[in-house]
Amino acid sequence: MNGVSLSVEEGETLGLVGETGAGKTTTALGVLGLIQCPPGEYVRGEVLYKGKDLRKTPEREMRQIRGAEISMIFQDPMTALNPVMTVGEQIAEAIRLHEDCTAAEAEKKMIAMLEKVRIPAGRADDYPHQFSGGMKQRVVIAMALSCNPNLIIADEPTTALDVTIQAQVLDMIGRLRKESGTSMLLITHDLGVVAESCQKAAIMYAGQIVESGTVEDIFDRTAHPYTQGLFNSIPSLDKKLERLRPIRGQMPDPTRLPAGCEFAPRCPYADEQCVKEKPGMVELSPGHFCRCHHAGKGAPLYFPDERVNELAYDHGLPVSNPGNNILGKEAGQ
Amino acid sequence: MTQLEVKNLKKYFMTPAGSLHAVDDVSFTVEKGKTLGVVGESGCGKSTLGRAILALNEATGGQVLFEGTDVTHPRGSVRKKMKREMQIIFQDPYSSLDSRMSVQELIAEPLNITGIVKGRENVRRRVLELMDTVGLASRYRLSYPHELDGGRRQRIGIARALAVEPKFIVCDEPVSALDVSIQAQILNLMADLQKERGLTYIFITHNLSVVKHISDDILVMYCGCLAEKCECDDLFEHPLHPYTKGLLSAIPIPNLHYKRERTLLEGEIVSPVNPAPGCRFATRCPHACDKCRAEQPAGREVMPGHFVACHRAEEINGL
Repeated sequence: MNGVSLSVEEGETLGLVGETGAGKTTTALGVLGLIQCPPGEYVRGEVLYKGKDLRKTPEREMRQIRGAEISMIFQDPMTALNPVMTVGEQIAEAIRLHEDCTAAEAEKKMIAMLEKVRIPAGRADDYPHQFSGGMKQRVVIAMALSCNPNLIIADEPTTALDVTIQAQVLDMIGRLRKESGTSMLLITHDLGVVAESCQKAAIMYAGQIVESGTVEDIFDRTAHPYTQGLFNSIPSLDKKLERLRPIRGQMPDPTRLPAGCEFAPRCPYADEQCVKEKPGMVELSPGHFCRCHHAGKGAPLYFPDERVNELAYDHGLPVSNPGNNILGKEAGQ
Repeated sequence: MTQLEVKNLKKYFMTPAGSLHAVDDVSFTVEKGKTLGVVGESGCGKSTLGRAILALNEATGGQVLFEGTDVTHPRGSVRKKMKREMQIIFQDPYSSLDSRMSVQELIAEPLNITGIVKGRENVRRRVLELMDTVGLASRYRLSYPHELDGGRRQRIGIARALAVEPKFIVCDEPVSALDVSIQAQILNLMADLQKERGLTYIFITHNLSVVKHISDDILVMYCGCLAEKCECDDLFEHPLHPYTKGLLSAIPIPNLHYKRERTLLEGEIVSPVNPAPGCRFATRCPHACDKCRAEQPAGREVMPGHFVACHRAEEINGL
């Protein structure tokens, strides 16, 4: 992660989008102070929650904030639950840790939570392996919501689920969030999910936010070449395309980042400045930020045709040497 | 020309809990040079269907005809010929390659087993040709799978399948494990290969936008059974089966201006172990009636080329 800045307003959902290894999950864990140090290290920066810096908050206090104020829905419901505790015990445990209540009160609240996520109360004494994937994820959601948090961090909550179950789970998160006015940071790699459930979005690439703004900014006024590349890579359901226009090459190795713009080796617009100099964030319109030297200088919204033809024969170029990208084939053939 | 014909194919597995009906009475045909997309949720029997067609799991019942030859239970010379003409690309490029073999050895393996290329020098040349075809730089020749990323590993899987010059390939979720930008590269490669070589594909996936992009025809499976089969555009414009409708409306679409009616499917897929009589989808179907719960619907040609397994297809679609 490298100089990431994000803000989530009260009651708002921010979608954090990026490919595997872009640093999405690390961002989430960083907010909660859950990164193991060493090998991790917080070099600089602050995490402000309601104006208070969580990085300077002592661990004792953080434990109170995690779960009660900010809670997290983990990606994989199959591993996020304890296999040797019943789901009822697990939810009640979260409640008793954060709220001053008796076991009986916690149990009552646990049952209410289960019913909220449409799991019959009778199943509270079952173990996680007795549930299907969708139900397990609903248990994880019940646990995350059990202490009425102000902010939910959902890390790919539906990636492990089938589409019809995903629709159910997203619908439920949206409904519960609206009822309680909770804010949410939704981490996903699916732009469709962002279009349906977020008001704002931020696109992450190689540990940095490359574009952020309202969903209208991102979807209708796409500015960063990487964001454009992501849209062009997705097969469309409403248009018939002959060919996809993938982003050539791969994400750079985070231990050997390019000297200039991180995206330059894969970018169709990259020029000398991009290879040498790191671009800063440019505010294109109020709230719409883009990290690109060419942003706002009338860069075309889609790749021009001759570029597309060039990309069509791209079979995955090395990212370490931008000069080779023009050749259309990997070096060393 | 019909290249592959599948007739009432069944594959049951015996489990401690009872008989698991992974594929139950599925029939369809695939034309030469076309792509049939098979979609469905996890556990609906898509992969088992692909494997049963290739006799990797031999079918419990029914018949698979490839260019007129019965290959359901291939033996002897039929088996040898079939293994060359029908190939598979596996889902997971992380576990389908032997981690102790180099790229060169992995791609040479099918050549050596079938003996279609003889002599060490010829094999080496053919391996380099194949690597070029799938867009792998020759400098990866001596690399091991763990040194390569998912996209490159999947290219090895494709090169292995192409090595024996097959006519027909079952692609079992070849891009599901990959990121979108890499996924698009692989999809373009597969489309190019099909055009160049006139390959026939069965493309198994749970990703509906991918299947729409690549397929000519689509088969929707639900819990081991065929739900709907028709031309690709027809399916997206006029879905007739209530499950297909629910499935289509559940896909999140990355476009803020795409408006549609949302039919949220309640409940979850039923267990395929000792399934109850009746339509497998009846428990989640908003239109289910007594007949649906009593009698399993067979696939019927409701409109020309449009097959639906639903008792009430005409009624609920106003046909």
